[in-house]
Amino acid sequence: MKKLFSLKGGIHPAYDGKALAREEAIQNAPLLAKYLVALQQGIGAPPEVLVAVGDKVKKGQLLAKAGGFVSSPIHAPSSGTVESFTETPGATGAPVRTLVLAADGLDEAVEFRGIADWTTAEPKELLRKIADAGIVGMGGAAFPTHVKLSPPPDKKIDYLLLNGAECEPYLTADARLMEESPERVVTGCRIMGRILGVEKLYIGVENNKPEAIAALRKAAEGTPVEVVGLATRYPQGGEKQLIRVLTGRVVPSGGLPMDAGCVVQNVGSAAAVADAVTQGIPLIERVVTVTGEAIRHPGNWRLRIGTPVLEAVRLAGGVVEEPGKLILGGPMMGFAQKSFGGTVQKNTSGILLLPERMVRQYESHECLRCGKCLSVCPMRLFPSQLATFSESEKYEDCAAGHVMDCIECGACAYTCPAHRPLVQYIRRAKAEIRRKQPKK
Amino acid sequence: MTTFLAAVAVTALIALVLGVVIGVAARIFRVKSDARVELVIELLPGANCGGCGFAGCADFAKALVEGKTTPSRCAVSSQGTVAAIASALGVSAGDGFRQTAVVLCGGDRNQIHNNALYNGVADCVSAALIGGGFKGCEYGCLGMGSCARACPFGAIEIVNNLAIVHAELCVGCGKCVATCPRKLIRLVPAGSKVHVYCSSPRKGAEKRKVCDAGCIGCRKCQKLAPEVFEVAGTLAHVKYDHDHPADPALVEQVGCPTDALLTAEQHLKIEHETPEGRQKK
Amino acid sequence: MSENNYLELTVGAVLVYNFVLSRFLGICPFIGVSKKIKTALGMAGALVFVMTLSSFITAVIYHYVLRAQTMFGVAVNLGFLQILLFIVVIASLVQIVEVMLQKLSPGLYRALGIYLPLITTNCAVLGVASLNAKAARGIWPSTVFGFFSGLGVALALILFSSIRERLELSAIPRPFQGLSIALVTAGILAMAFVGFSGLC
Repeated sequence: MKKLFSLKGGIHPAYDGKALAREEAIQNAPLLAKYLVALQQGIGAPPEVLVAVGDKVKKGQLLAKAGGFVSSPIHAPSSGTVESFTETPGATGAPVRTLVLAADGLDEAVEFRGIADWTTAEPKELLRKIADAGIVGMGGAAFPTHVKLSPPPDKKIDYLLLNGAECEPYLTADARLMEESPERVVTGCRIMGRILGVEKLYIGVENNKPEAIAALRKAAEGTPVEVVGLATRYPQGGEKQLIRVLTGRVVPSGGLPMDAGCVVQNVGSAAAVADAVTQGIPLIERVVTVTGEAIRHPGNWRLRIGTPVLEAVRLAGGVVEEPGKLILGGPMMGFAQKSFGGTVQKNTSGILLLPERMVRQYESHECLRCGKCLSVCPMRLFPSQLATFSESEKYEDCAAGHVMDCIECGACAYTCPAHRPLVQYIRRAKAEIRRKQPKK
Repeated sequence: MTTFLAAVAVTALIALVLGVVIGVAARIFRVKSDARVELVIELLPGANCGGCGFAGCADFAKALVEGKTTPSRCAVSSQGTVAAIASALGVSAGDGFRQTAVVLCGGDRNQIHNNALYNGVADCVSAALIGGGFKGCEYGCLGMGSCARACPFGAIEIVNNLAIVHAELCVGCGKCVATCPRKLIRLVPAGSKVHVYCSSPRKGAEKRKVCDAGCIGCRKCQKLAPEVFEVAGTLAHVKYDHDHPADPALVEQVGCPTDALLTAEQHLKIEHETPEGRQKK
Repeated sequence: MSENNYLELTVGAVLVYNFVLSRFLGICPFIGVSKKIKTALGMAGALVFVMTLSSFITAVIYHYVLRAQTMFGVAVNLGFLQILLFIVVIASLVQIVEVMLQKLSPGLYRALGIYLPLITTNCAVLGVASLNAKAARGIWPSTVFGFFSGLGVALALILFSSIRERLELSAIPRPFQGLSIALVTAGILAMAFVGFSGLC
């Protein structure tokens, strides 16, 4: 049994809402008539669009190729015709250019070619396969996976950690994936381990998912992959937090996981890596938890990238009561949406629809100096003080307080008895500091 | 008499000793300073607004003395001050011209429809970070007054959730331009009286859906006075040309169908006289 | 306070008879440069320096000039020159501090602004010299008293500026914003120092 290190801070939400969709097996979604494929998914340079209006495309065909090294290509989710280009709200709500694909219902695919035996293939070849498949961090950040797997030669990587913590309330997509296809997760993990040349492979899963842990342990038997059960706590799924818990290492301020000799990947990305390498299937679908008290039949669906949010809600039986808030992602770090016009993207882990009765408008008060935020901050920052500095526009003091290390997990704002919008103040300070920095 | 003489002698002696000490100290800790910099700092308004592009009045003065810039770059100084600085330094005043800021949005709380309930930090920069802001028009003034707080001269007023520049107070330092997260504020030649209060490049129909005061690109203004107005796509704008300043009378003649085209005076008057917000035309 | 006990002299100067908070001397820099701890520290340093040196020099002048019965063989009584000579000494010292600061720390020099030359007419500096003269202290007790009085002013300045930095971040009702809340705070701080009375 692996020795675990303690995570400082964090919260235990009293109600995690996971029961809504926890027992729902992953279902395949029926084909839709239209897919809205956002042409900027994830961090990095915008990809170059290769198709024009009227072009016929097949499922898995390249729609846009990577626009640089830190960039990721986008593939057609189904076969059909490129109808038009439009704009849809992206993950954060800001409009992104979107391709409208009129599906022909045949779902005709291009020929997928995988690598027959990845255990002997060149790491370079494996890496190219992953880059070509357009795989990004599916936990939320959507950082291109192949970039994370290509650390500069001067950084020695000792650990590969798979993040199956899924500490966000309500979300169950990763849990179902680990339970239903553990072998894909384990294979993906081993492929990435081979690319990095790492011996120590860990999958961290929170203890509130015993079935997932058991399934993964069974699949990992006889492989170097070790499945580690973690005490349940938010935000354990943060990269830096997971590294701390599993390895005891601390990522230096302003640094990346590789500065601590670690690479962290989401379990969903690992499954996608397995598909891409062994079968050559690009990332065109993902498991999405469609849940919330306002949804008639909460559950987990395998949705094509580009599925409109409205269709996903319809798939889950529509609403049972007046919806109050739509969130893409989890309730803690997800993005509240202004409309149902959004689409499923590679990093959309959940579609959460909360009824009006559960959405409260808090009035924020002055800081009470109770120090609760201080004790829950997993990055050991001083949220209330950073927020107060930001409020009075003292951004230099914010920077001195390491505001840039904030992971915006929201634990401080969740726990604040004065309902201060701490994360928002911190985000403002970060934006101001970034703006003042000279452009790279 | 002896007391008098002794007092004079003692005071003189002590003063002499201290004077020598100060002289020595001044020699040891001498700082090479240019008296002209001090002089220019004296002459400058001391607003430290940064409108000249330097860190403050002291920096600007240093650059002036070094000949890196011209006195007229100071947006706050009056013509007289600029001339005084120029003559003090023996340089030409330079060809900077005076500018004034204008918020190119006419969407007050009655005009632009909100599409989200915002209950966060009361600041435009923060609001714009969340899903691009709560207003229906992503080019609409958020009206939370970040620019008004940034203005060192108190020239921006928030009326009916809309920022309006009082041109008579504005010196054109450009602080608000840098602050506005939606880039709605523009520096135009001082004295410009006519503006198109819209910044949205979206299609007319899309604009009409979210705002009643947006420019719909009907080209009425361009047809009447092509030397003054120009329509790019679906957004008209004043050319702000020095040789052809827009005549306030043009506004009446054009008769803009959405009232996006107004004189600054009219705009302010409309917002002030209808506290519940401007009415649909 | 008894005069020759150095412990009483020092504790008295710093806490019990704090120049700013008990004697209400030197309020001008106390209010003027207490917005930031950094400038307050600079001002405190300048004040300690000037007060110590001026105490020493004025004590020397007091004992050998002002109280001298005879000078150059004639009987004199130059006591009436006290203020004049003290001011001359203080002004010269401030001048020296000024040229030094301008060279060594231009940033601080700019931050202190007008308050630096104003030390010249600062009642705390002249006050310490006058108090020394009034109590007819010896040269060393005077210097020690000057140094610790300076420390007392420094303590008050640093305490007050720390509080004001926090005040900047607090939501204060409009009528109290700025100087009003600062003066209220200064009053409360002074009341706190009353607690030391009777210590010596």
